[in-house]
Amino acid sequence: MAETTTRTQNATDPRQPTGWARLPIIPGPWETLLAVWRRLRKMSTALVLLFSLAIASIVATFIPQAPLVPDTVANWRAGTAGPGAPIARMFDAAGLFDVFGSWWFTTLTVLLVVSLTGCLIPRYRAFWRNVRRPPAAGRNLERLSNHTVLRTTLDPTAALAVVDGLLARRRFRRRAIDVTTTRSGREQIAAERGHWREGGNLLFHTAFYVLLIGVAVAQAFGFAGQINVVEGGTFTDTRIVYGNVRAGRYFGIDDHRGFQVRLDDFDASYHANGTPDDFVSTVSIIEDGDVVRSGVRVRPNHPLRHDGMKLYQLRFGMAPHVIVKAGDTVLFDDRVMLGNSGGVWTGTAKVKTSSPDQIALDLALLPDFAVDDRGRPFSRSEQPDAPVLFADLWVGELGLERAVDASRFIREGEPVAGTTLVPGGTSDPLLANLTVEFADLPLWSGFQVSHAPGRWTMLAGSVLLLVGLISSLYGYRRRVWVEAHRTDDGMTTVVVAGVALQRKVVFADAFAALVAAVRTALPTEAGAAAQETTMTDAHHG
Amino acid sequence: MRTMADLSNTLFFVALGAYIAAMVAAFFAMAFTRVAVDGRMAPTVTGRRMGVTVTVLAATGLAAHVGSVVARGVAADRVPWANMYEYSSVMALVAVAGGLLVVQWRMGFGHLMGFVLAAAVLMMSAGAMLFVPAGPTVPALESYWLKIHVTAMVSASAIFILAAVATVLYLARDAGERRLADRSGQRYTAGTVGAASIDVTEREHAPAAVSSPLELRRVLSPVWFVVAPAAFFFVWGLMKYDVVRGTSMAPVGALLGVAAWYALPYLPPAAQLDNLAYRITAFALPIFTFAIVCGAIWAEEAWGRYWGWDPKETGSFFTWVLYAAYLHARATYGWRGRRAAWVGLSAFVALMVTYFAVNLVVVGLHSYAT
Ligand code: HEM
Repeated sequence: MAETTTRTQNATDPRQPTGWARLPIIPGPWETLLAVWRRLRKMSTALVLLFSLAIASIVATFIPQAPLVPDTVANWRAGTAGPGAPIARMFDAAGLFDVFGSWWFTTLTVLLVVSLTGCLIPRYRAFWRNVRRPPAAGRNLERLSNHTVLRTTLDPTAALAVVDGLLARRRFRRRAIDVTTTRSGREQIAAERGHWREGGNLLFHTAFYVLLIGVAVAQAFGFAGQINVVEGGTFTDTRIVYGNVRAGRYFGIDDHRGFQVRLDDFDASYHANGTPDDFVSTVSIIEDGDVVRSGVRVRPNHPLRHDGMKLYQLRFGMAPHVIVKAGDTVLFDDRVMLGNSGGVWTGTAKVKTSSPDQIALDLALLPDFAVDDRGRPFSRSEQPDAPVLFADLWVGELGLERAVDASRFIREGEPVAGTTLVPGGTSDPLLANLTVEFADLPLWSGFQVSHAPGRWTMLAGSVLLLVGLISSLYGYRRRVWVEAHRTDDGMTTVVVAGVALQRKVVFADAFAALVAAVRTALPTEAGAAAQETTMTDAHHG
Repeated sequence: MRTMADLSNTLFFVALGAYIAAMVAAFFAMAFTRVAVDGRMAPTVTGRRMGVTVTVLAATGLAAHVGSVVARGVAADRVPWANMYEYSSVMALVAVAGGLLVVQWRMGFGHLMGFVLAAAVLMMSAGAMLFVPAGPTVPALESYWLKIHVTAMVSASAIFILAAVATVLYLARDAGERRLADRSGQRYTAGTVGAASIDVTEREHAPAAVSSPLELRRVLSPVWFVVAPAAFFFVWGLMKYDVVRGTSMAPVGALLGVAAWYALPYLPPAAQLDNLAYRITAFALPIFTFAIVCGAIWAEEAWGRYWGWDPKETGSFFTWVLYAAYLHARATYGWRGRRAAWVGLSAFVALMVTYFAVNLVVVGLHSYAT
């Protein structure tokens, strides 16, 4: 949109009395605001802002983002990875580890929205005026670049009625112009079409507001958390059970539904070549102690919806059932969820956390045990066809009571003892009378549980965006006028003329088609059709 | 299914060979064109035969290519565009089909086919380096939203390739026309048709900016046409692979650059190329937008969030904003013409980086490359 207001520069204004050295005026707050607003309303400002947002998003692909990869960012901050701690501190100060949550990204977005609003308000006004204004009367039709003169035996009013029907079928908005108001003193129809271009453009730009509202609603009222459960296990939808929680300000602790999800079964299947085929969790939902849904299969791309929450299959793993006994006393009896690190499933069991003699087990599991040429164990596949569990026993001051993350306990020196087990196996007494049993190998399944309001708003925004984009790119505004008058020989002369504001070449074709339709619809005496003259854009040269 | 997979691979190379032959023929066909002083062009008899050869070869390649993709789909028992090899192949296929049907047949810009085919050959070669045997995908990729998403994405990308070809040639041709106008002391106005409007071929309208197109080669030094693309290909190869591949890709760039320099007189006027690039982009952008929206819906189904700023999503966003900026630039006085063309070209580079680099280098949820 061109900035049409030209402001007179005071310094060169001839009306200013000469000889007065004008002091530079320090703009007041109001003027400053006005100047900023004018600047923001320019399309070039919007372009610069758009570019800045784009560049910010590129920065975010090359610098690790805390919300996505917190561990990498921690390493960068500690200086163990990336360009070093001092630079990481500078990044932190500039919010570069969380670009999309940084104050300056928000500022840019707000400025863009303000800019957009500044662009849109005058355009909405103009659009509204244009749409309501009836098609304007045409003058000097013969001088327009697209025009045709036809002759017919119908009288002018009837001829115009025929053409009016044709224009109606082409979805033109029409208006009969009063004879007394046309310059030529002839009957006329003014017709217009193609407000969809500007309408689509406005729709497209307005869709951004809808999208932003959707994002804001999701941010404020949404929730997402992750949870792992072992086969047979149950979790309750409450805030405390989830990890990696992202909760909106207005999704409170009380907003959790409190239903229970029981993982009845987990099944991972593989193709012959070892690639995964499907992961299926079979779950039951329990409300107030009653099973309300059972046998529900949750698979990738097939989330479970319940009570406004959605449950997604996220990951899975091995959870060996380990029992540790001291003589006949059971010290530990649990299924330990292991995580996959490069084909080996590893994890930690906190056996006894009371000092002085704390006990922990470092576990490593190969699901499909084999030994390679050099005598090193490896896993042939992902499937637990021949699982073997390696357990290292640690005893002493391990700091277990402090280690929130069980795997981070203090390891000094070597483990006290180690053992290798197959399902159903029990180790020899390891330290005095300690035994470790590998009872069996259930699986665990990891879910994301989320509540995402604003999804439909986002979808609606996207649809509006697309519809607006297409109509603003392909729509075009055009006007057609038809004038008819009696000539001396008793015939009626019909002038059809038109102009298009955009896509002029397409219009030339459409105009030719309209003229052809008019010609066939108007009755003529033999040979009359030959007496026409046509001019269209396409033949201008 | 083994045989189907083999058939697919064989047909892939048949198609590649046919495209290369067609491309060479297309460049030679230009030599057999008479250019009048007023800029009118007419092929000689040999030129016309060569033109037919190009079309026949390209169409044969296209048929083999379709066969290759279909056989791959049968072999893997799914839509055959789920990894980078398949994606590159389909992208090239759509680009050649679009080039033949729209650019050459519908719009009559036959002399652009050589460059369209070159782009397709490059795309297929890049894809062939990422070959993986036909097989099933991981469960997260089994969704019909994904099918719609990737189909739309592949089509949009392929159409953007056509736009990029037109844009590069526009920049070259425009530089020549500008220089010619300077020499003859005329004011140069013909570079762009300007405001954003999609018009059917504006051939009759574009002023004959150049009296003798053959002069174009004289005013533009071929050195830049060798150095710039060679350097670009070298850097691209270096960033994507290593020095050896970069060095071996540089001559390919140089050859294409020389071809572009040679083709200068036979190209449509700059204004038409600019308009062509715009119309193609305007056609592809809604498809691209639709693809991104479907991607978000799929992400919501598969991962429980529709947008997570993972590198692929960020890259698509960036590309989309740049293409939108291109449309804005075309509609902004002072930006249309060369500046807008550079914006459009950077959008295309962003598209390619998002597609290749992000998949191969940056690790995100989307990197299903291997
Ligand atoms: C992400 C943000 C934006 C996108 C993707 C976008 C996209 C577009 C597109 C595709 C067009 C159609 C161009 C045409 O009709 O030829 C357009 C036109 C326009 N946009 Fe935007 N726009 C964005 C933001 C803005 C902002 C912030 C402003 C206000 C400063 C703005 C002002 C305009 C105006 C005034 C036009 C009409 C140009 C003309 O037809 O002359 N846009 N925009």
